[in-house]
Amino acid sequence: MSKLVKFFKSFLLLELLKGMSVTGRYFFARHITVEYPEEKTPQGFRFRGLHAQRRYANGEERCIACKLCEAVCPALAIKIEVAEREDGSRRTSLYDIDLTKCIFCGFCEESCPVDAIVETRVFEYHGENRGDLYYTKSMLLANGDKHEAQIARDRLADAQYR
Amino acid sequence: MIKIEIDGKQVEVERGATVMDAARKAGIHIPHFCYHKKLSISANCRMCLVEVEKAPKPLPACATPTAEGMKVHTHSAMAVKAQQGVMEFLLINHPLDCPICDQGGECMLQDEAMGYGGSASRYTEEKRVVKPKSIGPLISTEEMSRCIQCTRCVRFGQEIADMMELGMAFRTEHSEIMTFVNSTVDSELSGNMIDLCPVGALTSKPYRYTARSWELSRRKSISPHDGLGSNLAVQIKNNRVIRVTPVENEAINECWLSDKDRFAYEGLNSTERLTQPMLKQNGEWIEVEWQVALEYVANALKQVKSSAGAEQIAALATPNSTLEELYLLQKLLKGQGSGNVDFRLRQSDFSADGKRAGAPWLGMPVAEINSRDRFLIVGSFLRKDQPLLAQRIRQAVKAGAHANIVHSADDALLMKANKAIVAPSALADQLAQICKALATAKGQAVAGLERVTVGSEAAAIARSLASGERVAVLLGNFAQQHPQAAQLAVLAERIAALCSGNFGFLGEAANSVGGYLAGALPATDGMNAAQMLAAPRKAYVLLNVEPELDCADSQQAMVAMQSADLVVAMSAYKHRATEYADVLLPIAPFSETSGTFVSTEGRVQSFKGAVRPLGDARPAWKVLRVLGNLLDLAGFDQDSSEAVRDEALGGQDVTGRLSNHLDLPLQIQGGTAGQQGLQRVADVPIYATDAIVRRATALQQTADAAMPAARMAAAELQRLDIQPGASVKVSQGGSSVLLVAKADEGVPVGCLRIPTGCAETAALGPMFGTITVERA
Amino acid sequence: MMELLQTLEQTGLELLGPFWMPVWTVIKIFAIVLPVMGGVAYLTLAERKILGFMQLRPGPNRVGYWGLLQPLADGIKLLLKELIIPAEANKFLFVAAPVLALAPALAAWAVIPFGEGMVIADVNAGLLYLLAMTSLGVYGIIIAGWASNSKYAFLGALRSSAQIVSYELAMGFALVCVLLAAQSMNVGDIVRGQNNGYGLMGWYFIPLFPMFVVYFIAGVAETNRAPFDLAEDESAIVAGFHTEYSGMGFALFFLAEYANMILIAALTTVMFLGGWLSPVPFLPDSIVWMLAKMSFMLFLFLWFRATFPRYRYDQLMRLGWKVFIPLTLVWVVVVAAWMQTPYWLW
Repeated sequence: MSKLVKFFKSFLLLELLKGMSVTGRYFFARHITVEYPEEKTPQGFRFRGLHAQRRYANGEERCIACKLCEAVCPALAIKIEVAEREDGSRRTSLYDIDLTKCIFCGFCEESCPVDAIVETRVFEYHGENRGDLYYTKSMLLANGDKHEAQIARDRLADAQYR
Repeated sequence: MIKIEIDGKQVEVERGATVMDAARKAGIHIPHFCYHKKLSISANCRMCLVEVEKAPKPLPACATPTAEGMKVHTHSAMAVKAQQGVMEFLLINHPLDCPICDQGGECMLQDEAMGYGGSASRYTEEKRVVKPKSIGPLISTEEMSRCIQCTRCVRFGQEIADMMELGMAFRTEHSEIMTFVNSTVDSELSGNMIDLCPVGALTSKPYRYTARSWELSRRKSISPHDGLGSNLAVQIKNNRVIRVTPVENEAINECWLSDKDRFAYEGLNSTERLTQPMLKQNGEWIEVEWQVALEYVANALKQVKSSAGAEQIAALATPNSTLEELYLLQKLLKGQGSGNVDFRLRQSDFSADGKRAGAPWLGMPVAEINSRDRFLIVGSFLRKDQPLLAQRIRQAVKAGAHANIVHSADDALLMKANKAIVAPSALADQLAQICKALATAKGQAVAGLERVTVGSEAAAIARSLASGERVAVLLGNFAQQHPQAAQLAVLAERIAALCSGNFGFLGEAANSVGGYLAGALPATDGMNAAQMLAAPRKAYVLLNVEPELDCADSQQAMVAMQSADLVVAMSAYKHRATEYADVLLPIAPFSETSGTFVSTEGRVQSFKGAVRPLGDARPAWKVLRVLGNLLDLAGFDQDSSEAVRDEALGGQDVTGRLSNHLDLPLQIQGGTAGQQGLQRVADVPIYATDAIVRRATALQQTADAAMPAARMAAAELQRLDIQPGASVKVSQGGSSVLLVAKADEGVPVGCLRIPTGCAETAALGPMFGTITVERA
Repeated sequence: MMELLQTLEQTGLELLGPFWMPVWTVIKIFAIVLPVMGGVAYLTLAERKILGFMQLRPGPNRVGYWGLLQPLADGIKLLLKELIIPAEANKFLFVAAPVLALAPALAAWAVIPFGEGMVIADVNAGLLYLLAMTSLGVYGIIIAGWASNSKYAFLGALRSSAQIVSYELAMGFALVCVLLAAQSMNVGDIVRGQNNGYGLMGWYFIPLFPMFVVYFIAGVAETNRAPFDLAEDESAIVAGFHTEYSGMGFALFFLAEYANMILIAALTTVMFLGGWLSPVPFLPDSIVWMLAKMSFMLFLFLWFRATFPRYRYDQLMRLGWKVFIPLTLVWVVVVAAWMQTPYWLW
């Protein structure tokens, strides 16, 4: 009996018609495409985009060159060199992130004891030449200065979960 | 033996052992900070609290003696609660600055806090802050707030360095580790406090902020400085030596390292490093390829040989060169037909050559020093020349041994000793007196000592030696460099024989024994170091040598260099050789080459290069090997330093080739009375011994590396009418230098102590002999 | 409309005399080929749009309003791209293959009537001509595969030829049924034969429904369209027969494929769906019906592509030989027998 049912089912193309009914239904369904430059998906406060180095309110850079981010970076994208500044404080003399190596895992910001290296919500950046995506300390600090208000808001929102 | 149980494990320990000892034996870790196996027990950190059954409260494992049937729990609820409580207290005042702490990643407090601490602190009040104080160029106390008052550094100073330079001042909350008002830490072992400090309170100043511990890779190496052959962990980052720490070896350096071994690495990264072979062309130095430089050297040597004869070629090497380098150098010279090779640059008496039964050595293993009960140390700036050996002697003295010193300078040796401080010329006489007194006491006669009259100091020393069972007679660097070195050795051997003790030489440099084993000695028809410089040769090959600093007579050495037609300087550094050399060949220091040092106790220690040679520098053994090929000499086709070593030593066991016996008769010359002027007493300052140390910037800022001064007894100053601190003109061998006069009661009357090995005194003549001083 | 055409013909005859016939034919050819080409162009857009809609996305919408200029952009792009000829390829055949693929697809249109009398060549053996032409297209593919000197292209060509042979039979038998029902090989007559005065009730898809389904499915297979596109199975043989083609060579294959689709849609319409006939008696017959029916069939093509995964090759062969051919054979007998009974109403 079941064999017969199966025979008719396949001979009458029932399953094919079922499939076509699915695609047919979707034909009239609403599109879910986000038309990117005009529309944007919402971002969470933990969004992991372009990196930035932050400063304290008094303008002092936060980074203390502890190198934890360099150690934790799974892609070895961070390179740090340390030097003692004239005032005796421990600072980076070199802080580079190679964004072409970076996998945006966020471990660096998680490991940072002073919230110096953060990932901002910025994801619309590009490079036109080899090396354009090699971010140096000054570029990262400039990023931080530019987006500090947003960064601070995001850290505040995240603070209760940390 | 006592049987106890720790965490259910049965352990058998000796009577008197503590619970901590038992736990270590059982392989059970008990958290601790103040406990250190080499230091006394103070039990002040309380971290090692454990539960002992039938004891009402937790007991500190480090200070609790074991008792039969004791049952200890290190992880019971009570012990864990006690440990967590202690940890919370320790962390109350400890700043949370691990991210910038140089100790971060290798910090005991960090580790134990992870293992035994709570997850959060309940302490919300202000933390204690300690103001940093400068205690010298080596140790940073910048973050003294991190101190947990374990007092390891204090106990180290009291018990190991024997200079209590750090102490705990004030009480309770205010207690802090500090030096005496405004003093610095000047011990030659001070660097060990950095290792001992379980937190980041005492950190290395030169290393400060240069790397995090996890970035470093550690390579084993051997110290190229003093004769002890300390085992090093050379720590590198980016092909650069970043710091040096000890590798524990109970038989050699225990867990310590002298500051020289620890901080000399700065010299490896010096800006003076030579990185490219250089040739002098028409008075201009030009950088060339190795091929060009080596061919030039080979041709020049061939030319000297054909035009002036092979005996016009001479080679000098420092005893800090590796066995392989010394071996190939002598092979190169002897292959050329010249026997003029020597590495004993500061020696002035070579009368023992050919009379030795073997390579002179310590005469006993280093570890046995601790068990000697009588020492006779002749002519040694002990603490500065062999800091860790001195430490072992001090431990022995503290355990009841007697130290007897015969020397020409009374430096602080930090131990009780019978001293006979005499002028250099009277050193042999003083030894002869001891020998005679000892012989009398033992009822034996020693021929040739009839005319000697025994003084009171000698008698006291002889009494001390006669009463000992395990005597060590040691000749220091000063005695080996002495113009009567052979006679001193003969006398010392007799003294040792009289009290059936060991007779030995304290090795001057890392490879003082290795040089003998490598055969880097003049051939029977060859010239020794002194002769080579006294009768200038046409061509010199210098291995690691800076003639004005490394030779017994710097003045003479410079004259010889300047008059030579060809000077080939193989050096890791650009130095004064640029004035007289024709070729500079950059060679790799110990950290960049593989090689072997034979320590003063005859221990053959090979090491591998820790980093790649800087620039175009090459290991010297390879340079010499290629040079041998270019000169068409046979036997220059070894392809590893191990092959060279095996060829040089014919096996690792060299004990059969070590002997201090001298086949020389005893000849007592009367005191060299009637000399004009003062006798020079020349020491090689601790941080001026070799090329690497001389360029270690932090060491050069220490008190031990202060400007050389003209030091003499106050009576002498008065006689010459010189005020201490005044500038004086010191003349020797026709040239003079200006130095500051200093009163030093340790210098015998009639002597003037002026160091060698420093640029300031390089213009002067030999290390021994007469010298004149006058008001400038 | 008709009058206008007749006036045009009249004037042409007067002006050119005996030369008018060829000229007029050429004009008629252009009148068909140009719309077909335009149809092809916009069919590509429609395909992408429809596939997009079925996948909940908008499809091309950047070039022109609603993506309407997209085909133009694609065309310009393909025109400007370099035509790369592989070093070891047979150059002549390599270049000829796309032409051979496209030409039959266009030539077949000669016998398709768009309306009453709207046909270039009203030949009596039109059905045979069609069978011949639709089968010829595979030569282009086989030659392309062989001339490319590439294993992928060659495998694609082999698959394609085996597939065509398999489905050609079923297709032919299905048409035999139509031929039986219409009793004519003239395509116009077949359409007229479906006019029995009851609108769509007269169309052959009712008595020949299984044949209608088989014919259309075989048509999909003939045009190498999903789910029968094994000749360009990108997951197995890169791009099949056109692996080595770029630029205009590729574009011609592309045109051929879509022209074939339109052709199959037109044939199905003509054979089974009453061509230009109105589905209801009260509305006039018109070319509009023809186009509407073709559009529906084309939509089915795209719908299939959006729905069905590609067949495995053995499944493809099984379907052709073990299902379609027996089925069509049986149905030929059934129709033949049926026609001898009084219940044959068409």
